[in-house]
Amino acid sequence: MSDPDVLIQRYVEGVLSASEAEELHALLSARPELGTQLLRHLEMDAMLRASQDLATNSLRPPLLLPRRRFTVTALAGVAAVAACVTLTISWVGSMILKGANEDQEETTASVAVLTRGVNLVWESVVITPGTPLSPGWLKLKSGIAQIEFYQGARVMLEGPAEFELVSSGEANCTRGKLSAQVPPQAVGFRINTPKGTIVDLGTEFGLDVNAGSAEVHVFKGEVEVHSPATAMQELKEGQALSFADASTPMAADPAGFATLGELDARTADSQRSEFERWMGRSQLLNQDPSLRLRFDFQESAGARVLTNGAVNGRQIADGSIVGAGWTQGRWPGKGALEFRNVSDRVRLSVPGEIQSLTLAAWIRVNGLDRAFNSIFMSESWGERKIHWQITRDGVVRLGVAGAVGNPHVDYDSPAFFNPERFGRWIHLAVSFDAGTQKVSHYADGELMATLPLKDPTPLRVGMAELGNWNDRRQQGGVAIRHLSGAMDEFALWDRVLTGAEIAEMAK
Amino acid sequence: MNSNETHAAQAFLAHHDFVKGVALKYAPWPGLVEDIAQQVFLEFLAKETRWDLRQDVRPLLATMTRLVAMRLWRERTRQQPEVVQKLAEHIRQLAEEREAPPRYEEEISVLRSCLQKLPERSRELVELYYYNEIATPEIAEQVNMKTDTVCRALSRVREKLRECIERSIQQGGAAHV
Repeated sequence: MSDPDVLIQRYVEGVLSASEAEELHALLSARPELGTQLLRHLEMDAMLRASQDLATNSLRPPLLLPRRRFTVTALAGVAAVAACVTLTISWVGSMILKGANEDQEETTASVAVLTRGVNLVWESVVITPGTPLSPGWLKLKSGIAQIEFYQGARVMLEGPAEFELVSSGEANCTRGKLSAQVPPQAVGFRINTPKGTIVDLGTEFGLDVNAGSAEVHVFKGEVEVHSPATAMQELKEGQALSFADASTPMAADPAGFATLGELDARTADSQRSEFERWMGRSQLLNQDPSLRLRFDFQESAGARVLTNGAVNGRQIADGSIVGAGWTQGRWPGKGALEFRNVSDRVRLSVPGEIQSLTLAAWIRVNGLDRAFNSIFMSESWGERKIHWQITRDGVVRLGVAGAVGNPHVDYDSPAFFNPERFGRWIHLAVSFDAGTQKVSHYADGELMATLPLKDPTPLRVGMAELGNWNDRRQQGGVAIRHLSGAMDEFALWDRVLTGAEIAEMAK
Repeated sequence: MNSNETHAAQAFLAHHDFVKGVALKYAPWPGLVEDIAQQVFLEFLAKETRWDLRQDVRPLLATMTRLVAMRLWRERTRQQPEVVQKLAEHIRQLAEEREAPPRYEEEISVLRSCLQKLPERSRELVELYYYNEIATPEIAEQVNMKTDTVCRALSRVREKLRECIERSIQQGGAAHV
């Protein structure tokens, strides 16, 4: 089978053979997203064909626009030009393959990941568990953070602490306590302190850095301590060393450092209390008179209906689960629906017109596999229907269809989702404010974008789906737009929530 | 050109990119957009006495463009083998039913800055293929490489430009490729 990129280029170039046309046709029928891709290439091709005028900065009437075709005649005509640019071509050619690989792969600067946290209070930017960490400072006021370095070392940092990630096998610590577990794959892991450097030889150790000195305690295995004031020293299991201007041997004290078991227990406690707090807030939220729909995804396992918990949401019936299966939500015991397949969706109906609206959801995106990845979409399109979705580029989009004869408008956030945000629970919200004529996008309680509302005509959501889209086409292919991920809360208000209210929900 | 024709030409040129956007929706055939714009321009000028140029001419241009696009589409695709005709019709339907219509007018205005931000090798490839009109097999032959490799490289350049344009529009200015 031919590469779709090559077939698309050959179509764009106008040189597709009959068999290739057949193959491309079959591919387009089987993979509707390829159609969108092809149209995008055709649009860009048309713009690039016209861009020669842009490049030469000359605005000519279209009568004078060049007619270009890749015909035999045209090719013969450009042969001389080709000869003149052979050197350029050689250079471009040498770079094409190199460029191919560079362009294809996304990159990350991260060297570690925050895997768990208990009662975390940061002095620096707030970081939540699941966040990949790039080189830089972490300033922890209080709480315990578990950081796993990509080379394999695991560090439990106790606040207050100042800790700088240098690489996947190295860090600096200028203040605070930590314990480290270093598996054989990560031997050589090093932590630099103002008083010296600890190089791990495959072990578990504790480190306590304060203003005057640093203490290292070896619980298992062996470490090397390199201090400017003294010769390199090796410490074995049970040994400890306080090193500053001079070094003082001590007995290791495991009780002075947080252990994995302690972290497990505190994590479980913390999750339980967060879950309980959410359940308390959940009841209050449901009382909001402007709340029309709220799914808390707390149905019993195997349920095929999502109950609308909004006290004043009688007009909106419960949602019907199709395909999607149950999974764990933000905390143990919290339910969520996983959207994996083309069929997975929750169908619901939002009757009537809505002047202003806020939508909010907790979602975990596993990947952006489709051109459009549905969060909540009206069935079909047109007549003030809405499509809340994430584009392949990571942009959160509220698309609003125009009323008769009017164009639709896409209200886009800046690109937000990227591979480093996949797999984490994220709170998204969007408000459509007909009063102040603004659309606002929020992520994790923070305002991402406020855009001018181009058409304040009331919205008509109608039949809609969570995590998927149905265009009500009677025959032929339906564009695939299902979410690849999970959702564990969804709500709709017929008013505009304030930034503070949204931030509170995202806590 | 008399003064009426000059006014009509100016009115058309003010909406030249809009016409191309409409043409793309109804006739997504490679290279056809320019022909459609050219034909609409000629017909618009030929009937210039009928138009009230003080009014918004976009609805008029949209209708004219749609009709011209469908006519030229039929002429162009009729010459193709049946299997290509079927493919082209499938693509035309996709374009017509597409949720987001082409935003040619908006996008071409930021294309220039995105072209300038392309890595040099990609810009050279654009120049060879689009400006010097060298076909992919010719480029491939010169560099002793497979045509498919050049095709993929061109495809990637267009994707990069698309990403840059979308970012630029979202950010209200030029973005990095």
